Amino acid sequence: MATTAPPAPSSAPPLRGVQPLRAGQGNSFLWRKLHSLSGIVPIGAFLIEHIVSNFETINGPLAYAQQVKFLNSLPLVRVLEWAFIFIPLGFHALYGVFIAFRGRANVNVYPWAGNWMYISQRITGLIAFAYIIQHVWRQRFSGVSLPEHPGAAFHKVQVELSNPWMLAIYVIAMVATTWHFAYGIWLFAAKWGITPGDKARKRFGYVCAAFGTALCIMGLVSIYGIVGPKYQNAPEDVMPEQPAGIVLPAPNTPPPNSTNPDPSVLQK
Amino acid sequence: MPSTIKVEIKRQATPDAASTTEKFEVPYRPNMNITSLLGEIALNPTTISGQATTPISYDSNCLEEICGSCAMLINGKARMACSALVDKLRTGDEPITLAPLSKFPVVRDLAVDRSVLFQNLKAVKAWVPIDGTYDLGAGPRQIPQIQEQRYPLSNCISCTICMEVCPQFNDSTNFVGAATIAQVKLFNMDPAGSVLKEERLRALAGDGGIQECGFAQNCVEACPKQLPLTEAISDMSRDVIVQGVKDLFTR
Repeated sequence: MATTAPPAPSSAPPLRGVQPLRAGQGNSFLWRKLHSLSGIVPIGAFLIEHIVSNFETINGPLAYAQQVKFLNSLPLVRVLEWAFIFIPLGFHALYGVFIAFRGRANVNVYPWAGNWMYISQRITGLIAFAYIIQHVWRQRFSGVSLPEHPGAAFHKVQVELSNPWMLAIYVIAMVATTWHFAYGIWLFAAKWGITPGDKARKRFGYVCAAFGTALCIMGLVSIYGIVGPKYQNAPEDVMPEQPAGIVLPAPNTPPPNSTNPDPSVLQK
Repeated sequence: MPSTIKVEIKRQATPDAASTTEKFEVPYRPNMNITSLLGEIALNPTTISGQATTPISYDSNCLEEICGSCAMLINGKARMACSALVDKLRTGDEPITLAPLSKFPVVRDLAVDRSVLFQNLKAVKAWVPIDGTYDLGAGPRQIPQIQEQRYPLSNCISCTICMEVCPQFNDSTNFVGAATIAQVKLFNMDPAGSVLKEERLRALAGDGGIQECGFAQNCVEACPKQLPLTEAISDMSRDVIVQGVKDLFTR
């Protein structure tokens, strides 16, 4: 009978440095793919909608107000807003920061185009993250509430952009966000196996670059619509209040045989 | 033209020792490569200040860019020492700098432990399962079109340069690296090896798997054997996603 335990089966000593693949373990694949997908749908789709809607600023305060009113009168608009904008955006942003800080950028050593794009995707993402926090806070959740006062939208943005620093921030963020989105589409196609071939990836790169540039120019034009000379000093509100339970606007002229022939001052 | 070459080498006596830099000056000969330069130092291991030292440790074998063992940082960039020619590396009187690969544990001097790649290849079963208790006979026929797609992937020499240059390959992501992903494609396309296809794809979806790729494309730029690594990553990404969806609904 053995008096000592047999030696443990010799297994490889634990590796230092980068660890091997944990085959089939963990959920990071799912989270990473959700991050990738959420950047296209719904966040990318929303970005397109946002820039297209903002393009109405070139038609002036009333046109812009009508666009804001239209969006806010979509059925279940608050549910849509949370389910398809705030929650996915929050997830994409936080998981994106997590991804960005786990990479070890080495573009100083290997200054290749793809490597520059790798770091640009992280930098533009962080710019967009910081910008969107202040943008959502200042334009959506503080100041005059635009869902109830769509007519105030143009004035609210115009006041915001009257600060040259804020204008600079908006321009930088517009470039960064559309860059991040355009390269994000390209990355999505490459990483989901839609464009595996070198030629396909190159061709699709031109498509994404053209699309991103167009989106960026539209965004910058809508900023110009706000700060340009045409609609200087826009009125504070160009529309009556639009509460959630809105009915027909009260008549301005008293109906026949009214017991209250003198309309309220508020209706004048 | 100067008759000597200055070399600065980052050295480390043991895996735990602190690293130091030693400078050497070796006689110039035309057509030298970095391995012959290191051989020259071994003939006379004396630093530039005349101090006797030990020869430089480094891995090498074939000396013709086929064994994959002599990858190191040459002038800061990951390259094969055997195919790095001194005549092309020299810029004026600047010394050539040599350092071990930065993302692998140093064994000694320029020799590093790259067994993580071997572990990864084992984790994805990068082989054709043909062992049995009796002769399995001839394998299935490989058609030339598939062969042509597979051949470039079979050129991998496991040098780990694709992993060294990858910004995502680090001890925080523990990313598997491009080489292993390319081998998954190689063996999934093998008519006999494809029997393990699903297992390989499921393995690649684990933590540190193919999803960690950030598509910086450094791997394909740096690969000394010009493997179509980004194409392999793209193709395998799709296959892993499809496998995941399939497993979700049918397993």
